[in-house]
Amino acid sequence: MSDAFSVIGRSLERHDGLVKATGKALYVADLDVPEAWVAGVLRSPVAAGRLRGVARDPAFDWTRVVVVTARELPGANVISMVRDDYEILARDRISFATQALAVVAAPDRAGLVGALAHLRADIAEETPVLTIEDSLAANIVVWGPEGRKAPNVIDEFFVRRGDVEKGFGEADAIVEGTYRTPYQEHVYLETQGMIARPTENGVEIEGSMQCPWYVHGAVARALALDAENVRVRQSTTGGGFGGKEDYPSVMAVWAALLARACGHPVKLIYDRTEDLLVSTKRHPSKIFHRTGVKRDGTLTALEIDLLLDGGAATSMSKVVLSRSILHSTGAYRIPNAHIRARAMATNTPPNGAFRGFGAPQSLFAMERQMDRIAATLGMDPLDLRLKNVMRPGDSFPFGQVMNEGVEGALGVLNDVVERSDYRRKHEEYKNRSSGSVRRGVGLSLCMHGGGFTGSGEDNMGTAVELEYAPSGVVEVLASSTDMGQGASTVLPMIAAEALELSPDRVRHPLPDTSRVPNSGPTVASRTTMYVGMVVRDAALDLIDKLKGHVAETRRLGEDPSYEKGIFYHGENEVSNFDEAASDWLRARGRLAGRAEYRPDEAAAWDDEKYEGCAYKGYAWMAQVVEVEVDCDTYEITPLKSTVSAEIGRAINPVQAVGQIEGGVLQSYGWSCVENLSLTPDGKYDTGHLNGYLIPTALDTPEFSVNILEEPCSVGAYGAKGIGELPMDGGAPAIAAAVENALGVFATKIPLTGEELHRLMKEREASQERGQASR
Amino acid sequence: MKIELMVNGALRVVETHPMTRLLDLLRDDMNLKGCREGCGEGECGACAVIMDDCLVNACMIPSVQAAGSWILTVEGLGAPENPDTLQRAFVEEGAVHCGFCTPGMILAARALLQRNANPSREEVRVALSGTLCRCTGYNRIYAAVDRAVKNGYNPSGDRSCEDSPTGRPNFSDAEKNLFFSPGTLDEALRILGDHPDLLLLAGGTDTGPDVKNGNLNISEAMDIFGLKELRGIERRGSEIRIGGCVTDAELGESAVVAEYLPALREAALLSAGPAVRNRATIGGNLCTASGAADLPVALLALAGKVRLQSRKGQRVLPVEAFIKDYRKTDLRRGEILREIAVPISAGTQKFYKRGSRAALTLSRASLALFADVESGVVREFRAAAGSMSPIPTRLPKLEAALTGQALTPALIDRAVETITDELNPRKSAEYRKALGGNLVRRFLEAL
Repeated sequence: MSDAFSVIGRSLERHDGLVKATGKALYVADLDVPEAWVAGVLRSPVAAGRLRGVARDPAFDWTRVVVVTARELPGANVISMVRDDYEILARDRISFATQALAVVAAPDRAGLVGALAHLRADIAEETPVLTIEDSLAANIVVWGPEGRKAPNVIDEFFVRRGDVEKGFGEADAIVEGTYRTPYQEHVYLETQGMIARPTENGVEIEGSMQCPWYVHGAVARALALDAENVRVRQSTTGGGFGGKEDYPSVMAVWAALLARACGHPVKLIYDRTEDLLVSTKRHPSKIFHRTGVKRDGTLTALEIDLLLDGGAATSMSKVVLSRSILHSTGAYRIPNAHIRARAMATNTPPNGAFRGFGAPQSLFAMERQMDRIAATLGMDPLDLRLKNVMRPGDSFPFGQVMNEGVEGALGVLNDVVERSDYRRKHEEYKNRSSGSVRRGVGLSLCMHGGGFTGSGEDNMGTAVELEYAPSGVVEVLASSTDMGQGASTVLPMIAAEALELSPDRVRHPLPDTSRVPNSGPTVASRTTMYVGMVVRDAALDLIDKLKGHVAETRRLGEDPSYEKGIFYHGENEVSNFDEAASDWLRARGRLAGRAEYRPDEAAAWDDEKYEGCAYKGYAWMAQVVEVEVDCDTYEITPLKSTVSAEIGRAINPVQAVGQIEGGVLQSYGWSCVENLSLTPDGKYDTGHLNGYLIPTALDTPEFSVNILEEPCSVGAYGAKGIGELPMDGGAPAIAAAVENALGVFATKIPLTGEELHRLMKEREASQERGQASR
Repeated sequence: MKIELMVNGALRVVETHPMTRLLDLLRDDMNLKGCREGCGEGECGACAVIMDDCLVNACMIPSVQAAGSWILTVEGLGAPENPDTLQRAFVEEGAVHCGFCTPGMILAARALLQRNANPSREEVRVALSGTLCRCTGYNRIYAAVDRAVKNGYNPSGDRSCEDSPTGRPNFSDAEKNLFFSPGTLDEALRILGDHPDLLLLAGGTDTGPDVKNGNLNISEAMDIFGLKELRGIERRGSEIRIGGCVTDAELGESAVVAEYLPALREAALLSAGPAVRNRATIGGNLCTASGAADLPVALLALAGKVRLQSRKGQRVLPVEAFIKDYRKTDLRRGEILREIAVPISAGTQKFYKRGSRAALTLSRASLALFADVESGVVREFRAAAGSMSPIPTRLPKLEAALTGQALTPALIDRAVETITDELNPRKSAEYRKALGGNLVRRFLEAL
């Protein structure tokens, strides 16, 4: 498979593995910051209202405390994100519970706690809008200018293709369903934390984050500082999953404001309770499907009305919504489609990025709808999928024709079915209807577009440098971060392959904006695929530079050739990599290869028409999960998960499999373990890990993961994005397995004990009705 | 307070407040940052260390209880230059991703391997079930443990060094009348007689989270966890006697409990993850009197009694009389819950618990059932439910419906109806009632 490579395709150990396994890695809370003050946040107890002011109790000693409110901001009251509607601190209007009203710092925790207790927010409470339905009804306008045509609609997209009426006319059956998915909390094991150190003209930030340049931009703007006076460094980051994409900008701005105000370094570290109660969550969804289908299973037309709960500000909703609608028809050929997607504003904390970014929601709905269609037609869900799965020449409803890179869709389906013995088990379990402990298998098929949606990658301008340090180590200078997914191992592997050097010669240090160019945020499954490609190009640029240097210094008259660390002129070895590099350092100073992403003109996305090439590489995944269901206790236990993933190229197979297993388990958690809702006053209903449960070792099925490789031309050495793919298909697979075991059809998750009990009662009632009517 | 303890093989003498968490002591005073706070409530296991050969969550151990102990942290296994076999195996198998849970996970694996050099996959899963990992899906971690075993990793306990730390803390003058660490039960009772308002510290698994969440401020306390008189499980006559500070782990491992009180064993094993079970005590579980407690449910169905002791004497109460209300017991000033006595009875007993996941969870519903059936007639029947009301309770209507009756399908139907009627949970009532009915049916049908 990877015989052509010397580094790619090897399961090398993580370069930071031993440092972490011996407890020596330093996360933000571990950093010793002399003279640091501790920071905290005064938050709104209500979800909606007018803020009249924040008063300080005159009886309290405020001499060793700094307080910043919206009235003391040096720059615009905006956290830079997709749209300028996310306030740093509430000024007049409170639009969600836990919204920050003031930030406070004191020399120690006791001082901070005392100060927070002596601040009084004067609030006139108003009625909040807490649900998608109430937001749609728009009796109360939460978001957007008054008199707007569509109040409370943060963003809206349409995808139209073919003639839907004609398609429904050709159908033998029309199937409808409404599907719902809930919040999800990331539960990165390391909570959010940020340190700000004041400098003469600005501020330095260090903390747990995915996107140093996002933080940089947000801080510079909020504090009205010149870009060069803001420096941002990532500290070792204990998990992200999207939760450290947007939110760290908020934390950094607050810490920076306080550091500038008190003249000390400031530490703002959340404990688990604060993190759970205030950090971003996955967008809840409500998705309506209407599908026309012929008797043989051919899909003829489809309508989708997709709604996401965006929360009180845009945050990431616009881009989450876009990815959600573009993944909403799954891996299937849909000749006629009319899809509408809206992100609705509510008086709830703005929902943010979470692994999958809208795709797990829309794919849950689509995959469940496929199962419903199969049940309606009396067809096996697998056969319905095989009938409609995209093949070369097919296109997505937004117009992207899939000539290559689509083979994986059928490939993963066939592979997983064969390895899991799906057909036999599905038949056997379906016909077993006695006993209190039942089994079921569920199948799902999904895909994930790697990299930014639409023209995002072209607009990003990803840049990377590879610097040859005097020590002989080559450093990958990129703003891409390792949050646990392994970028700091994979990017050096790519560089080493291109440089034809041993991988232990290459390092990826923690990003520091004073050193690294902007290779973009570490999001969207783009790092290995897109940044990796630019790393490779930077490596080639480094070799070209050295070739020129060797040619010139050795007066060769032409560039030497290069192979495995040696420069040759004809058959003669003229220099090795280190000699040439050291010579460059002596003669010319700094040595670095540099490259930038080159947009692919042939594969364009039209933002105006909202059509074209949405993603340049799709990874595909099919899974069969086998569950045990206890009808007495309403417990679902995933026993075995068989996964096939077509990911272009596994740069480091063990890490790739680890990503897939971790992501699939996270999706199973969302399906039947994790459970978060709102209290009647608009707050998350738990701030503890004994309330928000995530899967433990005992909740984990046996995994069998197989990786298929159809190299992708725009990804590094053929790699496609894999970070999010594993999150996409777990929920519908679990629901399908429960359907196979019990004959109940779940339209929403989580499948808690209560929900399973409700479904079983419902089925009993309908069976009784069925008997009565006979 | 000045305490001595062995940390990673070296004797350490430290000055700290008695209630400083071991987590902070290790991180701040000893710069052992591999011990990490992921939740501060014993739910995630990121701060787990090995203390006296047992895995514990350092966020739940007040320093006063660490006096004289032997602590092993991840730094004590090896450094990047000389990692031990287990640390190496984690790296080699790709079990390290973000790394935040890794030290706790490695120590959880080590604690298992110290007791069991060649564990089955299921034993590994159970041993790691109190340590949350959000990155790997755990599979790579199992592979790492397997590899360590294959590479001959066979760790022994930690107490091999010559210098032994002094067990008793040396309290400062300011602390002397507020914090106590007695060596005997008599001494403890005397102190308690003089300071009736002080908090009794057993395993700390309830007080730790309460302090963290600002619900409890401990200004006066006495550590009774290590008192020998409160330890031990033995059969005496027709009773099993269990010391008040016997841990859930000890209950789970005891051959006596396994033989005579399997329902209690099940409750102990299902109560929490290993690090919590190593500290949580049966007496603490009774005295906290939480509605979601597991052990009291089993004890109610087994007709357990508590023996309370003060300087003046002893009294014995049935468990249902001891637990009076939510977080309220009949423990009087000056009393310590000395032991629990459970009669040995011929019959079948069972404990069921339903949480929202397989491990380490607050009970959503629990049920303990005891039945003695002779020649097809239910001679004796006792039942108790947890998480269905503010406190665990006996189910007298169900008991009355079954006692003395012939065990027939009709009786089982009546039992299901009775318990469905008798259970009155405040939340998710229908689901919990149905669950209760199903479990009673399952139990009775298996008799």
